[in-house]
Amino acid sequence: MTATTAETPTPVASAARRAPLIRLLRAELRWVFRRPRTLVVLGLLALIPISVGISAAIADSSAGAAEGPPLFSMMAGNGLALSVGTLAITIMLLLPLVTAMSSADAIAGESAHGTLRGLLVAPVGRIRLLGVKAFGVACVALCAVLVIAVTGFLTGLVMSGPDGLFTISGTTLSIGAALGKLAVAVGWVAVQLWAVGAVALAISAYTEHPMLVVVGVLAGDILFAVLGGLSALSWLHPFLITESWSALPDVLRDPMPTEALTEGTLRAACYIIIGLSLAGARMLTKDG
Amino acid sequence: MHSRKKALLAATAGTAAGVVGLGLIAMPAGAGSAPRLPDISAEKLTESVLTADTPAMAGTISVDNNLGLPAIPGAAGGGDLLNIDSARVHTDGKDGKRVSIEKGSDEQTVISNARTTWIWDSEKREATKIPAGGRDVHRQAPAHAQRQLDDPTAAARQLVEKMHESSTVRVDGTARVADRPAYELVLTPKPTERTLLREVRVAVDSETRLPLRFTALTNGTSEPALRIEFTEVSVGAQPAELFRFTPPEGAKVNEERAEAPKRPKHAKPADRDLTVVGDGWDSVVVARSGQGIDEIAKAAGAGNGRQGTDPRAMLDRLGKKVSGPFGTGWVVSANVGNVLITEDGRLAAGAVPEQVLTEALGKTK
Amino acid sequence: MTISTHTAPAVGGPTGSSIADAPLAARTRGLRKVYRNTVAVDHVDLDVPEGAVLGMLGPNGSGKTTTIRMLLGLVSPTAGTASLLGQEMPGGAARALPRVGALVEGPGFHPFLSGRENLRRSAAAEPLLTAGQISGAVEDALQRVSLAEAADRKYRGYSLGMKQRLGLASALLVPRELVVLDEPTNGLDPAGTREVRKVIAELHGAGSTVLVSSHLLAEVEATCTHVAVLHQGTVVAQGELADLLEAGNPTLLVSTPDAEQSVESLRDNRIPAQLAPGGVRVDLSAVSQPEVLRTLVRAGIDVYEARRERTGLEELFARLTENGLNDTEAADEPEIADDVWLDRLDAGQAAKQEAR
Repeated sequence: MTATTAETPTPVASAARRAPLIRLLRAELRWVFRRPRTLVVLGLLALIPISVGISAAIADSSAGAAEGPPLFSMMAGNGLALSVGTLAITIMLLLPLVTAMSSADAIAGESAHGTLRGLLVAPVGRIRLLGVKAFGVACVALCAVLVIAVTGFLTGLVMSGPDGLFTISGTTLSIGAALGKLAVAVGWVAVQLWAVGAVALAISAYTEHPMLVVVGVLAGDILFAVLGGLSALSWLHPFLITESWSALPDVLRDPMPTEALTEGTLRAACYIIIGLSLAGARMLTKDG
Repeated sequence: MHSRKKALLAATAGTAAGVVGLGLIAMPAGAGSAPRLPDISAEKLTESVLTADTPAMAGTISVDNNLGLPAIPGAAGGGDLLNIDSARVHTDGKDGKRVSIEKGSDEQTVISNARTTWIWDSEKREATKIPAGGRDVHRQAPAHAQRQLDDPTAAARQLVEKMHESSTVRVDGTARVADRPAYELVLTPKPTERTLLREVRVAVDSETRLPLRFTALTNGTSEPALRIEFTEVSVGAQPAELFRFTPPEGAKVNEERAEAPKRPKHAKPADRDLTVVGDGWDSVVVARSGQGIDEIAKAAGAGNGRQGTDPRAMLDRLGKKVSGPFGTGWVVSANVGNVLITEDGRLAAGAVPEQVLTEALGKTK
Repeated sequence: MTISTHTAPAVGGPTGSSIADAPLAARTRGLRKVYRNTVAVDHVDLDVPEGAVLGMLGPNGSGKTTTIRMLLGLVSPTAGTASLLGQEMPGGAARALPRVGALVEGPGFHPFLSGRENLRRSAAAEPLLTAGQISGAVEDALQRVSLAEAADRKYRGYSLGMKQRLGLASALLVPRELVVLDEPTNGLDPAGTREVRKVIAELHGAGSTVLVSSHLLAEVEATCTHVAVLHQGTVVAQGELADLLEAGNPTLLVSTPDAEQSVESLRDNRIPAQLAPGGVRVDLSAVSQPEVLRTLVRAGIDVYEARRERTGLEELFARLTENGLNDTEAADEPEIADDVWLDRLDAGQAAKQEAR
């Protein structure tokens, strides 16, 4: 029918050939960000800091102590506090769920659609495929964090200009310094989400039901929060990734206390190693 | 097949490494073996603590409060104040001091230099300015318990000094606190002292002689009733801007004069007339307000701008009703001591049994 | 157990060249796969000669797909070996698979992407395509399966046949040495089925090896040069199609008004024969056709017509089993088919081995 049909198969040396990694990563990103679900979720995330900012401003203008989440009293007109504060709220459940959703689609979803098979026979090496998938999940997580941070910061700037940027410790920040702190917060939250994503990828590799991944992360998050609340289990607390998450407001202190943030990062790194190791083990033994 | 097995092995190793890593993070910092330090006599160590200057340093203090103080709704008791997450201290070794007390995601910061002292409250977005020579914030700051945190060095030093007469002091080996080698100084009450405390341990930095950890142990428990310790210490010059403060845009700024009125929240009538009865471990603080318990409640309720809780009902709940030569009152017990509050508005407190409180009230009649 | 193709007579390919003793494009030895307690595939020794179009026949659940998945390295065998284009699988996947196109277990694509976008995504993972070739390869593949018109529609809106064709397109993105098609005509209308046959013929013409699995006897017969029959996880027969059809016990159907007399006279001459509707069926394994006719003529029997029975795979199986299963549809229903297949194949196996 076309020219290719008449060609004999190209003789190829039996050396291992692989599609360029950059091309795979680009294809993965295009796939991830063309999915309507991803875009809807990112859009909804952008609304959170805006609505939190508006309600903080309303609470601030009406006299009386504002009842709200941590940092709420600081959020009115303070873009930095609004961003970091919204991240501090959403990291508890919403952002992990977004990450889990992305991880669920990455392996379990592909498996359910029968597309994982296609990638494996292309062939994309199994560990390489996991790397590509982890990259996609990491990008979605980072994007989710960035969306909140940027809209939060802009909302603050729109509401009260660049003057409202101060820290918990009462120091006023220039826009540059505030953006620096915001970058730390974004990076730190992203690393925490990558840890969630790594574990979610492991679950994702073990199942064909994407919902199971989201449910698993939700259950884990709730379980960890409950365990973290039981003082009798204090020996267990340092093992819980959720224990790190309350450290985020430290970014807003001046000078920034690094102890809890560093510990949180190390803990997240351990979770990433565990998650990816389990996911890798499963990918290697998984039936395609 | 072979490479797959290898990969699986690597994955298992990775998982194990991650779990071990988590375990390492879980291990308490400074839980290493006791450092080897040259011997020092208790007297010499105490003396060096008393004479040492606080160097320029930064540190983080954690408070492990097991005092067993009953939670008093709507009132900031000492126990509540010690329920902080952590406090960070910066000092330039001279006038510059900065103490940040973290409670959840809020922070109270006291910044002082040679000219001014600022108190910043992030929750209320409120800054209070006190010129130098005004009230000494580091002694009277928001509440009495904060004093210890404001300057643990001074607090511990005072304690060491005071205890020396009534206590046996010895050096009990070494310890590693905030990753710094330290001597363990132990103060034990002399047998004549009537106190609930068993011993007080102070870990003294071998180099700077800074008290790094303060532990109070009571009779009959192995868990310390109170532990205040540095989790992180770095000795060295601190940036000067840490000791300056400009209130942020939109914050409420209060300026206080030298004889500024006390802030209503902390204006406890009981603070007015203080005497200390006895010395050493069994000293008792006696306060008298001049007002009956009902009037205090009314005033406090008005000051807080909320409905005052019925103080009698509250005291009934918190303590047990007693009567004696002082009239009737309530004894509120905690792990480290007792507090006796009488109907006519007197208060006696100390790390002592109830009996000693009654005696002290009698002495100050 | 099985009939080796090595000893089979050569069948001319389109170029007329012999593929006997040709190198194998795919080969399994002692292949076994156990899922939990279920043995899916056992003792599978499959040979796919280069340049052949090998039809894997068997009812649903006979182990066709599992065998293919092991060949493609998607599943690790419990025991035995599978090699693809000379590479041990699954270890040699990176070396072999770029030259292999596969459509396994139905097409797998994302519903929210258009056909073209789906194909581009598959193409991005193809090692043998350079970045510059991707667009062209995608358009060519779409043309080949007549999907160019619908390429911009979301996959979600595709009919079953279009989905199947898109799956075929992704197997054809690169000129392949081996194309593995698992049930390629599933869900296709007759026109679609013809198209698949055409594609297979083109691949064959271009020298590619094709491994196509099906449970439809007619489809295999129409497109394949070689056949392997799987039943309950085991290869029960394999070889060249023509050879398999010729082999076994050929029979001659003789139309005659004196059927009973014919049987008698043939049996007198030690020629096995039996009554058949409208005449006599004669076993040709021991005698030649002219000899039969001579015998009948000598006996003075009128012969209207003598026809050699050879009508296709369906009859092959019917003959193999001797049970006279004349219903191809039975193979579509594994519940019914399993027993029937077992009987007739076991019997057929025995018969074949006797014949050799």
